Amino acid sequence: MPEDVEMNDSPAAAAAAASDAPAPAQSTLHHLKEIASVIEAGSLSKEVRRISRAVRLTIALRRRLAARDVAAFLALALSPSSEAFARLSTLVPKEDGSEMDVDMAAPTAQVSIKHGLPEIEIYCYLLVLIFLIDNKKYDEAKTCASASIARLKSLNRRTVDVLASRLYSYYSYVHELTNTLAEIRGTLLALHRMATLHHDELGQETLLNLLLRNYLHYNLYDQAEKLRSKAPRFEAHSNQQFCRYLFYLGKIRTIQLEYTDAKESLLQAARKAPTTARGFRIQCNKWAIIVRLLLGEIPERTVFMQKGMKAALTPYFELTNAVRVGDLELFRSVADKYSSTFSADRTRNLIVRLRHNVIRTGLRNISISYSRISLADIAKKLRLDSENPVADAESIVAKAIRDGAIDATIDHANGWMVSKETGDVYSTNEPQIAFNSRIAFCLNMHNEAVKALRFPPNSHKEKESAEKRRERLQQEEELAKHMAEEDDDDF
Amino acid sequence: MDSGLEEATQKLAWLSFACARDDLESGVALLAELKVLLTRLHSLPPLEKTPNAVEELKIARTIYENAVILSLKIKDDEAFGRNLCQLKEFYINTWLVFARSPYEYQFLGLNLLRLLPENRISEFHTELEHLPLEALNHPCIKYAVELEQSFMEGTYKQLANFCQAVPNETYVYLMDRIAESVRDEIVDCSVEAYDYLPVSVAKKMLMFTSYREFFEYISEEQPEWEIKNCSIHFHMAKPKSHMDLSSFKLIKQALSYAQELEQIV
Repeated sequence: MPEDVEMNDSPAAAAAAASDAPAPAQSTLHHLKEIASVIEAGSLSKEVRRISRAVRLTIALRRRLAARDVAAFLALALSPSSEAFARLSTLVPKEDGSEMDVDMAAPTAQVSIKHGLPEIEIYCYLLVLIFLIDNKKYDEAKTCASASIARLKSLNRRTVDVLASRLYSYYSYVHELTNTLAEIRGTLLALHRMATLHHDELGQETLLNLLLRNYLHYNLYDQAEKLRSKAPRFEAHSNQQFCRYLFYLGKIRTIQLEYTDAKESLLQAARKAPTTARGFRIQCNKWAIIVRLLLGEIPERTVFMQKGMKAALTPYFELTNAVRVGDLELFRSVADKYSSTFSADRTRNLIVRLRHNVIRTGLRNISISYSRISLADIAKKLRLDSENPVADAESIVAKAIRDGAIDATIDHANGWMVSKETGDVYSTNEPQIAFNSRIAFCLNMHNEAVKALRFPPNSHKEKESAEKRRERLQQEEELAKHMAEEDDDDF
Repeated sequence: MDSGLEEATQKLAWLSFACARDDLESGVALLAELKVLLTRLHSLPPLEKTPNAVEELKIARTIYENAVILSLKIKDDEAFGRNLCQLKEFYINTWLVFARSPYEYQFLGLNLLRLLPENRISEFHTELEHLPLEALNHPCIKYAVELEQSFMEGTYKQLANFCQAVPNETYVYLMDRIAESVRDEIVDCSVEAYDYLPVSVAKKMLMFTSYREFFEYISEEQPEWEIKNCSIHFHMAKPKSHMDLSSFKLIKQALSYAQELEQIV
């Protein structure tokens, strides 16, 4: 089938006088036709995998799409009388010249592509939408997207789901680029309802992520959390969607001050993301670093030195330095220096929360290194700027003791802080707990190894002859006597 | 329609007058009438566009602002919370339609402060995220943010200064609640951090104005504090308990080791 198309195209292309660079144009169109045939095969055999493959091929083709290819493909794939064709061809900008020639090839090639397949129609919508977005024609893209959503509402086929979920993401993307996200929230919610009713799990996943992204764009964290907690959850179909979900979940948890959950989600998202998605991984890492700082642990240097992320993570590296040292002045200067970066990343409020952590870390360092230190000295070391630094230092230390960050007492009369002895850790239950976890791990490993054992195939075991058996028994007797003699020797 | 709108405008004028004069009963009665009137206005909830939409929304917003102030004055916490929530909805959703109310940041600051004494810090931060960047420079919002920071850091002496320097007279009502929670915090911290404190110092730290109040507080809330030689001992000689061996857990662990080892051998 593809060969026929190719042969029919080449005379037409050769005859075209005004067509420039016929070979690449032909191969793009050729690829598009291949993709169309894959979709056709997939829909006829109801195999969703082929449709996903077709989508992947399209994405690979994205950069080489030109207006005339799209127009030509539309002419081939859709019957000229359908309203889809009419709508879509108005959206694609016209290029004069080569259109006429390709139209001539159209009648012969039309036989290969069946009309009336809804998948082909939706695929055309998708193709035009991608093309318009890449050429930055956002208004036409919006009309195209809305038209496709209207068309999708009447369809309910598994094979269309893959294409539909891509359409939804581009629909949301184009609105995000033009800053009109708030308008489509109602539509997205209705689509999500529909996907749930149709048991379209991929669509549900995609739409949930799009909705969360929508809410988080406007900082409506409480509404996002309400939606997420009530939406049905299931096994993830697409790795990318799962990564996105984990990232949004991590963000929501950070704002709600549940730092442990947030750290888990964000680190998992950064790990599962494909290595090509560098921007996404950078964002995950930025938030993960801040969450770890807020939890009181310092991320190690290797986190910042990952390939390709060094430049983007530099502000966070300096911030970590300031927190580690416990120096308020340095922290303030770094926060001011990079305030524009932090505002762009929307992490500014989180950085403000870090101030408290800087003081705690500084206090912890002081308490460990001094057995007794006056409150005035503490105030000087922490560089607290206030009218009454000693009194402030006193109350800060009191709060830190209450929260369990440091182990000390304050002697008000003499105005100093006395650190308690760290105490012998071996007299507590700590070693036992550590031992227990290690022992359990080793025993688990042993059990799993035993389960994985397989006996060697011993189908050819020779029967022992009588002689050999006698020999063996004799040897065992001698061994036993030997061991008994040894024991006697010991006494 | 129009007549409803006019009636509402009139009553609203009376309501603001009553609020300003601290005439609480008539204020409450008027508020009830106004809420009934609100149900008759066509553009709430905004399901369809009506010509008077802008006017009606503005009036509704002003009604809720006054409701908040009124509930503060009569010290009704639930009504205060409810009205603030409804007012917040107006602020979030109508900024596209018409200009911000001049009192918006004041009320948003009130909302933030309401969450502090109840220790709902996560909601505090979620609310903070809603605010656009320039809001953080407004005195009311900055006040709330700095208050929360002092709370977290533990610089309670600064909090005392804060209580004096309120940016707005409506905030005064919330201040007593905040002062109480600050006092509880200080008590908690002092109990852990100090073994004993001289009475005068303790009184100053807990922000009591007279010794009599102080001793009343001790006898009511903290019966286990002892007063010896003009100083308060917080801990009655607490016997340092030996680490209780969680014997049950240890036995269970040893038994499981024995079981696993048997299987190997």
